Amino acid sequence: MSELWDVLVRHFPQFRSGFLVTLRLVAISFVVAMVAGTLVGALRAASSRWLRWIGAVYVEFFRNIPLLVLIFIAFLGLRGAGIRVGPWAAGTASLGLYTGAYVAEAIRSGVFSVGSGQVEAGLSLGLTYRGVLRRIVLPQAVRTVIPPLGNLTIAMIKNSAIVGASLLAIPDLLKEARVINNDTFQTTETFFWAAVGYLILTVSATVAVRFLERRLAVRR
Amino acid sequence: MEYLFSPDNWRWLFTGNNLRFLFEGFLVNLQIAGICMVLSLAIGLLLALGRLSRSRVLRTPVGAWIDAWRNLPIIFVMLFLSLALPGSWKAAYEELAPGFLPEALRTGRVLAAFLALTLYNSAVIAEIFRAGIQSLERGQGEAAAALGLTRWKAMRLVILPQGLRRMVPATVSQLITLNKDTTLVSIIAIQEVMRHGRIVTSFGFFGTTPAPVLQVFLVVGVMFVVVNLTLSRLSRRLEIRQRERTGVELEAVTGVEDQAALAAEPA
Repeated sequence: MSELWDVLVRHFPQFRSGFLVTLRLVAISFVVAMVAGTLVGALRAASSRWLRWIGAVYVEFFRNIPLLVLIFIAFLGLRGAGIRVGPWAAGTASLGLYTGAYVAEAIRSGVFSVGSGQVEAGLSLGLTYRGVLRRIVLPQAVRTVIPPLGNLTIAMIKNSAIVGASLLAIPDLLKEARVINNDTFQTTETFFWAAVGYLILTVSATVAVRFLERRLAVRR
Repeated sequence: MEYLFSPDNWRWLFTGNNLRFLFEGFLVNLQIAGICMVLSLAIGLLLALGRLSRSRVLRTPVGAWIDAWRNLPIIFVMLFLSLALPGSWKAAYEELAPGFLPEALRTGRVLAAFLALTLYNSAVIAEIFRAGIQSLERGQGEAAAALGLTRWKAMRLVILPQGLRRMVPATVSQLITLNKDTTLVSIIAIQEVMRHGRIVTSFGFFGTTPAPVLQVFLVVGVMFVVVNLTLSRLSRRLEIRQRERTGVELEAVTGVEDQAALAAEPA
């Protein structure tokens, strides 16, 4: 038991910096995923058939390809093509674009969950199309979209470990744990504290989603 | 773009045994996926039933077990197990591994891969199954009880067939995730498609010039996309067939719990 505390106390700076790197990785990828997801979600709902097709190809490609393959393409592959991509750019772009495909699907189903009757009703009341979107569709869509987006964020926290574990030189929590383990050979103790770090992130994200859901719940 | 489509950069595909070598690696991934799918579905069902048990002695620890494995990154678990599993376990696995498995799957390291993939996916699938079982109106269980079925019989004959069928889409998308996650085993040095891809792109293999990384891994990616798309098409087909056969429109799942499961994490 004392060994367990020992590892934490002695290597706390490393654990902390790994934790913060994971947090930063998730935060940047989250922004990428939201932007990409919203754009592709809009493509999926576009009136032009070609735009819808492009959106569908994006979603099916990024949803069905392993994240590790994407990271290889973004880092080593583009390098071979003469485009120099840094580890952070490659890692956050891969994770963000990958998650973006799921975000697009969540947003699309959220927007479509608001019936077309409501849009027509809003328009007939003299609201502009923009006004309908802002005052009728979006407030309701947000409610349906929050739970899946929360789950995607949690999944992204877990997937961020793949970025650190692959060839990229990003010293995230998992990487730091491996470094500490190489120094101490106290595998169980080291990984225990790294697991605590990941659980802090995933469990607090779960709690935050539940809180948001309750706040946004329709009161009748 | 020019680089991407230049024929010079695609010649590797038809030289030597490059393509065949990649396919052999991919076959290892598919075998890992297949074995872990069967294990995860079976164990996931047991875990779901355990978590829904009326006995708290069973319910609480099973719930904690599921939540712990579900919330940890799978690669984290895999790396930990590959470092922490006792050598005697690995030796025992090498002893017991059936001969029909390819060589890459008969090393002791594979044990960590199988365990990590199964621990994680059985926990996620347990939650999907639980959502399916709970989404059935209580009425179904009560009706079964009124007909004199025991709780176990009601579960087996009434609840499970409906509840699990309802969860086919969510389950299949988790199996697709499992299939993608098999690439992670390359990180613990198991020879599969990612490793084979690295070999093809390094110097001197098959006495040819190294293949460009971008093109090789695009081909690897396409292999996964094709298999995973086929899986999701099959599940949709299955869904439609079931609907036609039973003549009942499957109810859309609406509860928050179900949505969470249906949101199908890309983990």
